[in-house]
Formats: sequence, structure tokens, C-alpha cells
Amino acid sequence: MLKLNNVEVKYAGVILVLRGVSLEIRDGTIVSLLGSNGAGKTTTLKAISGLLHTELGEVTAGSIEYDGGRIDKLDPEQIAKTGVIQVMEDRQVLEHLTVEENLRLGGYIRRNGNIRKDLDMVYDYFPRLRERRTAISGYLSGGEQQMVVMGRAMMAHPKILLLDEPSMGLAPLLVEEIYAIIKRFNTEEKTSILIVEQNAKAALEISEYAYVLENGRVVLDGPSSKLADNEDIKEFYLGLSKLGEKKSYREVKHYKRRKRWL
Amino acid sequence: MIVISGLMNGAIYGLVALGFVLIYKCSSVLNFSQGHMLLLGSYVFWFFKSALGLPLSFSLLLAIGSGFLAGILIERISLRKLIGQPLISMITVTIFLSLVLEGLVSLIWGTYPLQHIKIFSGSSIRVGDMVLATRNLFAFALALATALALILFFRYTRLGLAMRGVAEGHQIMQSMGISVKRILNLSWGIAGIAATIGGIILGSTLGFQLSLSQIGLLAIPAAFIGGLESPEGAVLGGLLIGISESIVSGYLGNAAGVPAAFIILIVVMLFRPYGFFGLEKIERV
Repeated sequence: MLKLNNVEVKYAGVILVLRGVSLEIRDGTIVSLLGSNGAGKTTTLKAISGLLHTELGEVTAGSIEYDGGRIDKLDPEQIAKTGVIQVMEDRQVLEHLTVEENLRLGGYIRRNGNIRKDLDMVYDYFPRLRERRTAISGYLSGGEQQMVVMGRAMMAHPKILLLDEPSMGLAPLLVEEIYAIIKRFNTEEKTSILIVEQNAKAALEISEYAYVLENGRVVLDGPSSKLADNEDIKEFYLGLSKLGEKKSYREVKHYKRRKRWL
Repeated sequence: MIVISGLMNGAIYGLVALGFVLIYKCSSVLNFSQGHMLLLGSYVFWFFKSALGLPLSFSLLLAIGSGFLAGILIERISLRKLIGQPLISMITVTIFLSLVLEGLVSLIWGTYPLQHIKIFSGSSIRVGDMVLATRNLFAFALALATALALILFFRYTRLGLAMRGVAEGHQIMQSMGISVKRILNLSWGIAGIAATIGGIILGSTLGFQLSLSQIGLLAIPAAFIGGLESPEGAVLGGLLIGISESIVSGYLGNAAGVPAAFIILIVVMLFRPYGFFGLEKIERV
């Protein structure tokens, strides 16, 4: 189980981004972390996976525990070895390497594993990658690149997978495909998954529990189905007005409508 | 004849250029002290073989080992902080590093050429109407073999793949659990080995003297011509520079060789800014 206790993150010692975030991800569940731009979602993921220090960030208060042991002071390599693997945002493939080379590097930390079997597993989840396995990754389409970065993470047999905006920039049909694969991965491999998303609808549909982050604080959390019904979530994250229809800008009166958690 | 001797030199340039390219590929640092690492490597070998009198293979192993360590040490001390810094800092530090290395070498071993070591036999063979020294042939073969071994290493081994991955993006590799620090250490160590082997070969054919570091001066354009991210390109660039330097020296006199190499560099850069085999920036439209 992954637990964040009142985590505070600062960049360059002065920019406070996370102001006491507490999350819990139970084994085998899918949890989503919602929030608009700049809320601190990616920072939360990077705090978990240890990638903050390359950006002059650090966890200045609170603790991050995984399976009972603290991971917030560890190197990213050590954290990855405990089974916490992050898929960073923006589909960062290793551009000049082929698809298969990218995947092989994903499985690098499994020294005593069977690479062939792992590759077959990933190609089974993503048949399109099998067709494109010798293609140079930089030239793939956005959807294919997203598959590569996710496949790369799967190669490491993660115990918990941190997905940063998997649907960003993808066509809606492809988003459905990718989410179906995420669900399948969770069911078959029993991997816990933390999805950071701006696409609240897709994230709430697939996850069991959700947190909403705003300005570095968790403002709302609960089972996804309850959140999907919550008035404020519907208004501010799902774009539905009070009557469940699409928002009519003619009738918006900003001064009247406030989020109930403020 | 001129071409053949040019090829032999070219193999050495290629080997040193390979080290240069390796460092650039993995840590994005332009190591202008590569030539002086060669100098250091060659003198260290001389030390083991001549001063201490150790047997040949032993000295070779020790020298190569120290080349590896020297590479790692240089990376640790000076270059860690340089990653991501502006180009001018990088160039300045490595150039001054080369001066430090030269000073170090002179301090320990003096500025006069050192006593000659005979590694290869002095015989020569006739090929057609040319007379080739066996020494030079051995040197060429050794340099080329080392370069090829390194190229194969990058392409087909797991560690080589990891080095290519580190060249693509440090943070991406870290997120996959791969220790970028270790890979960088190794890449500098290997570059140190390449420089040392080149130094040993050159020292035994040309003599162990301070001017060996001039080779570095020519290996760098070789690396640029071949493409800074391509080990194969580095070797081919080295051969090209070797041949052209030889031809130009042959016809225009010795002093014209070095400028000729740089003229070729300029010409190639005008038409192929990334070098012949360099990796172009991938842009999707």
C-alpha cells in the first residue's frame, strides 16, 4: 500500500507546490488524482517516484511510505526497484531508439527476468507495437508513443504504476482503447494504479477511488462513483451545469456559483 | 602508399574520436581533453613497462585499468557539475583540463621524449611496390579492432543499449530505474580506455612524447564530421581525416596537414551540419 502523509514539496526551496497532501492507494486498486493545470498532480507523482531532485524539488515535510517503508528520501533507481514505476507525462519515448529497444530498456532493472516473455506480454497488450517494433520511436504517432511508454513501464513488472495524464493529446477512441488496456492490466497483473488525469470522465469511470487536487491540497476525495455525482465536480470538472446538461454560458453567473469546499 | 599510411593514422583518430563521441552521447559534454587523456594513458603505460619493468601484457592491462579509472576520476571531479551548463563553460573546463593533464605529465616525467619501447617488431613487408612497416600494420589493426569492438558493444549489448538510452534523456532513464550516474561513469571510463589504447599504439610507433596530445586536436574534427552521436561515424571520420591529412601533407608539405583537416571540417559542416551519420533532431510534422 502506498501512503502519502501530509506531504509538502518545495521547488528551489521557495516555491511551495504541495501543501500537505495525504493519499492512500490500496494494493490492487485503481485510484485517480484529478485537478486542473498547476494543481500539483505531476509534482505528487514525481515526489513518489523520486524524480523531484533533478528539478530542484524536494519533499520538505511529511512522508511517503510504500509497503511500510519510507521511500521519500531514496534515489529514483532504488524506488523503481521497490516496484513503483512512473510513466511520465508527454509520451517521452527514447526518440532515436526503436520500439523494441525502448521496451528492452524498460525491462533493464529486471536482471534475472525473461526478456522475451516480457516483450511478448507487452505485445499482447499492444498488438500495434508488435507491428511497429523496429520503427524509430520518434516517428511514431502520439497514440503509439503512449503505448510505448506504457509498455516500457509494464516491462518492469511494477507493483504500483503511476500514470501521468495517459490520455493527453489522444483521439477519444484511442483514449478508450488505452483505458481498456489499463483496466485489463490492473485486473490481470493485480498492479495498483494511480492515474493523474485532467480527463475527469475517463478517470472516474475506471477508478475505484478518486482525489481532487487544487493548489497543492486535496480538496475532495471519495469513491469515484460518488464523486461523479457530486455537484461541484460535475460543474467544474465535467462541464455539466446543475441540470446535467452542457453548460450554457449565457446563464453563467460566476459570482453566484462557488465550490462548496472553499 | 600515402593513402595507406593515412589510413593507419586515421584508425587512431577514429579510436580517439570514438571516445569523444561516447562522452558527448552520454553526458552531452564536449571533452576537449581527449587528446591529453591519450597522452596520460601512453605515459602511464610507459611507466609500467619501462620504469617498473613489468612484462608487456601486464603493463597493458594495468595501463588500460588506469585509463578507465582516470576517465571516471575526471568525470567525478570536473564534469558532474557541467551537465546542462552552457557550452562555453564546458569548453573552458575541458580545455583547461587538458592543460592540467599536460602539466601533470610533464611534472612527473619531464618534457623530453621518453625512452623508446619496442612492442612491435621492426620488420616490414612488401605489398606490391610499397614497403609497409609491420609495426604500423599492427597498430592499424589494433586500433581498428578496438574501435569495432566498441561499436559492436554499443549496438548489441545490454549495457551498450543503456548508454544509448542515457544519451536520449537522463530523466527518462531514471524513471525506468536505471542508474544514470553509473552509466556515465562507465562511459567516461570506456572513453579513457579508448584514449589509453590509442596512446599506447601511438607511443610505440611515434615515441612517447608530449606532442602525442596533438592527435586529440585532429580526432575532434573527425568526431564532428562523422556525427557527434555516431560511433561508426567517428571511426569513418577518423579514417577520412587520416587519409586527407596524409595526402595533403604528402603534396603540400607537413605543416599543411592539420589545417587541411579543419578545412574539410568546415566544408562538411556547411553541407551536413549534423555530420554524416549524426542523429538529426526528430521533428514530426
